[in-house]
Amino acid sequence: MQERRPLSDVQINKALLRNVLAAPLWFWGLVLLLALVVAAGAGAAGWMFNRGTGVLGVNRPAMWGFLIVNFVFWIGISHAGVMLSAILRLAYAEWRRPMVRAAEVLTVFSLMTAMLMPFIHSGRPWRLAYWAFPYDFARGIFPNIRSALIWDPSAVFTYLISSSLFILVTLLPDIAVIRDRTTGIRHKIYSAMALGWRGTPRQWRLQGIAGILLSAIILPIFVSVHSIVSWDFGMAVSVEGWHATIFAPYFVIGAVLSGVSAVVTLMALMRWLFKWEDHIREEHFDAMGRLLVVIATAWFYFFAMEFMFGLFTLEPQEVALRQLQVFEWPWSALFIIFILTAYFIPVPLWLFRSVRRNVAAMFWISIMVNIGMWLERFIIIVPGLLRKQPFTFVWGSYRPSPIEIIIVAATFCLVALGILLFSKVFPLVPLAEAKEGQILADQIKVGKKTIPAVMREE
Amino acid sequence: MARREVLGLFRDAETAAGATTVLHEAGVRQDDIEVLTGAPYPEGAFGEHIKRHRIYLFPMIGAICGFTVAILLTAGTQLAYPVVTGGKPILSVPPMVIITYEGTLLGAILFTVLGVVFESRLPRGKIGLYDPRITEGFIGLVVSCAADQWLAVEQALRRAGAFEVKHEQA
Amino acid sequence: MHEPRDGRHAITETLPETPQEVTEKVLHNHLATGPLFRVAAVFCGVLLLLGVVGFILRVAGGFDDRTKWGYYGAIFFYILTTAQAAPIVSVAMRMAKNHWRRPLARAAELYAIVGVLNLLIFIPLLFVLPSAAGRRSLWLDGAARMNAGGSGWPPLAPHLWIALMLAGLVFLGLALLYTAALPDLATVRDHSTSKRHSMLRRLTLGWRGTPFQWRAHRAALGVLGGLYFMFYISTHSFIAIDYGVALVPGWKDSIFPAFQVLSSLQSALAITLVTMFFLRQTGGYKEFFYVDPFWALSKILLATTILWFYFWWASFFTFWYGRTQAEQNVLQLLMFGPYRPLFILAFLFSFLLPFLLLIWNAVRKSILGPTVAAALVLAGNFFDRLRVYVASFSVEDIRAHQLESVPAAHLPDGADILIILGALGGLVLFYLVGTRLVPVLSMWELKEYLTLRRIRPFLKTHVRVMAKPE
Repeated sequence: MQERRPLSDVQINKALLRNVLAAPLWFWGLVLLLALVVAAGAGAAGWMFNRGTGVLGVNRPAMWGFLIVNFVFWIGISHAGVMLSAILRLAYAEWRRPMVRAAEVLTVFSLMTAMLMPFIHSGRPWRLAYWAFPYDFARGIFPNIRSALIWDPSAVFTYLISSSLFILVTLLPDIAVIRDRTTGIRHKIYSAMALGWRGTPRQWRLQGIAGILLSAIILPIFVSVHSIVSWDFGMAVSVEGWHATIFAPYFVIGAVLSGVSAVVTLMALMRWLFKWEDHIREEHFDAMGRLLVVIATAWFYFFAMEFMFGLFTLEPQEVALRQLQVFEWPWSALFIIFILTAYFIPVPLWLFRSVRRNVAAMFWISIMVNIGMWLERFIIIVPGLLRKQPFTFVWGSYRPSPIEIIIVAATFCLVALGILLFSKVFPLVPLAEAKEGQILADQIKVGKKTIPAVMREE
Repeated sequence: MARREVLGLFRDAETAAGATTVLHEAGVRQDDIEVLTGAPYPEGAFGEHIKRHRIYLFPMIGAICGFTVAILLTAGTQLAYPVVTGGKPILSVPPMVIITYEGTLLGAILFTVLGVVFESRLPRGKIGLYDPRITEGFIGLVVSCAADQWLAVEQALRRAGAFEVKHEQA
Repeated sequence: MHEPRDGRHAITETLPETPQEVTEKVLHNHLATGPLFRVAAVFCGVLLLLGVVGFILRVAGGFDDRTKWGYYGAIFFYILTTAQAAPIVSVAMRMAKNHWRRPLARAAELYAIVGVLNLLIFIPLLFVLPSAAGRRSLWLDGAARMNAGGSGWPPLAPHLWIALMLAGLVFLGLALLYTAALPDLATVRDHSTSKRHSMLRRLTLGWRGTPFQWRAHRAALGVLGGLYFMFYISTHSFIAIDYGVALVPGWKDSIFPAFQVLSSLQSALAITLVTMFFLRQTGGYKEFFYVDPFWALSKILLATTILWFYFWWASFFTFWYGRTQAEQNVLQLLMFGPYRPLFILAFLFSFLLPFLLLIWNAVRKSILGPTVAAALVLAGNFFDRLRVYVASFSVEDIRAHQLESVPAAHLPDGADILIILGALGGLVLFYLVGTRLVPVLSMWELKEYLTLRRIRPFLKTHVRVMAKPE
């Protein structure tokens, strides 16, 4: 793109492999810090397994709390990744280059974290996972494929396997670069992982095809994953506010909004921590900002439709739910924060070029959006369950317990830790993409002006 | 007759592309030249010709396998455990669609990944003639020639601007 | 012309070499009217007259029986979601700054003219739509009255407001067309004489093409495009709710408006593809419509075709799983009951057949493949509109809590068939007339492309290099 600085392959290798070949001290400090919080989260979960789900804040009728909210949130974040990388690859967007890998890695680690949530939430995962996996043959129990709770793991595991393989395949050339820069046992390991990559035209051609082909196959998986997560909620008629036909695309687009914002957060962090100003440039934030305006507005359309149709039927249960979500303390406060931080503050800001090109501003706005999107899931799930139904005789409310708060905090550190450790082993910015970008850069003279240009193959 | 491989290393792409012409003049066929680069170049940049690949067949086969397994699994499960849940028929097709969809795509992905590795002619036990500087931007031309001609090929490579030549008994 | 080279990524572009040639070729076609054009125009004119006869017969039967207006409503929605939707292709692709849109942008936005016809078709439907009072409606008016019996907000909803939205959409479409065509109209002005010249001189407001004018032009197109987008989505959503969902008790289908928007995008792409095919084969624009635009559009057509299934499935599956009586009856009415044949046809033509065609790259990367898939989509949309709107217009008691019984299939009578033929004839006629008023190729966009792209040698091959200003 236009602001690219000419860099040699040696410079690219040096900058992008800095952390892989010799990690700085702060890196290990950060790893230790994150690992401590993750350990605290594991301790909290262990405490809960030991004492039972009574230590959580869930209570009839709101039996789903922070852990399930957090599950939906992390599934949502995982959407950014592959969706962004796939769409940009399919569109041959030149500005995709520095962020595809980071986005894909974010997908994998947030998916793994997300899958932990329902298992922890069940309180006795080893006794309850038979809803998803056939192992309790002694009691003749086999997963019920008519239940959304089996569709969900089937989709998530398909997505996890696909995106992991996607990363591995596109990593091959970069592993070869590390192989050529290391010695001893590391050299041997990387040699084995590089599978004997040499960089022949045929291999490069197949890399190109793999990027496109796998993207095209992963996109339908990505759409199905969050659709099916929404159907965990929306299929049954028992919770009126959830049984809406729009739930699937509404969840998907919401996931894309929070996920793409998370990629912006990650990009800013990579730029600052690894000093990759030459690779992750202001123009990339600019492009992401434009994309986010479109995504956020599409999300708002689905949100509005979902909300309007809730009122449209004039069913007392539905109207009562909207009343609860919007007007009753404390949900009303959360609702206002959610709608402001998810749409009405960020989108007007993103309209300004100066904001989009300000890395710090983009960083904080992207975090704000994800606060909003976390609250969105909370407002859908918890007040949604707090309905008064026949045959429910206890109406408690929901208040998160410290155990839940610690676990949720630990998940954020777990994802960060995963990405950090990945960055120690593999480059977070694809070297081949960066080098190809250098090769394809060109200039065109129009009249008296020289305009940056790019070669296009498609 | 025994074959022998010669690797010429070039500092930049222009010289390497020019070298293929010199090699042609020296009687080397295009199919006997293999270009090694550290980054993808536009197709045909070195006059290379990529032999046909069948990568598009792999996802198709994988999808068919995944589809079949998923249909058998979902239909079999429902028929083997005939419990009515949620008032739905014993053999409910719409939920089968979901699992079959995932199964089909999973099959497609697994086979595509295998296909990419296979069609890239990987894994390759011995890396063969290679130089680590290729991943630093140098271009390598590996020429396969009759064993008694390697000297002529080496001379041609040097004439074309290779700054280093390696060879190996193939 | 550049020699295509070997390999998969051959440069297939066949555009003229210079801006002058673009002007010459487009103007040559624009200013001449062939015999084929006259025959087609007369034929469509006759169809339109037949449609007017059918319309008079329909009006003579009065507005009270909504069922009788089902096919009329469906054909309105058909035009709304195909021809009248086409300008969105041009707007969206211009926003995305695609280069392959340049040959087809005008062909798509020229369909804004058909909006005028559809606005006329819409007027009687305002009399068919029952008052919102006492029934479920997205408009607060109806909701408020149902609860409290008083008047609500906004006044005269939904009739006044959807009429304004539709009129706004039509107006914006025309404004967009005029703005986008302004530099080209100026070119025609400079190359014509007498009456046409003096008319265009007034119409082009003295456009000279100064840098300032180009900047203003660009800004105007951006603003109009953004407005058009918002009007497009909201108008489609609201009209679809008022004439579809709101007329069927128990049809609580929040995805339906989005489904209609999506299926209109799909059909907009389809009608653009079919138009490109005709312009290429019979319009004399063969070199402008080479395989790249077809290939690029067909990829998006494939994506929208898959999304068609996804949106339909989200709605069907939720109802199927819910299994309440209201949901079962709605499924019967719209899909599996009296209109099952139409639903099967819609499913085949809107999703299954185009999907099976378009998943193959060889089909996408051709002229005929995308055109055939697009023609199927246009047929599928027709069946889909019939199954939804004939069915929803045929529900008698729209104030019930849920659909108690599924009404029998309503078959078209003679007047309906005349109306359908007339509307389709009118659609084509309006477009044909449009091609005489405005050049059907966006000359300035093509010329801009020629200044921004080079075909250059690179090592031992040739590559296309695109400048990226700004």
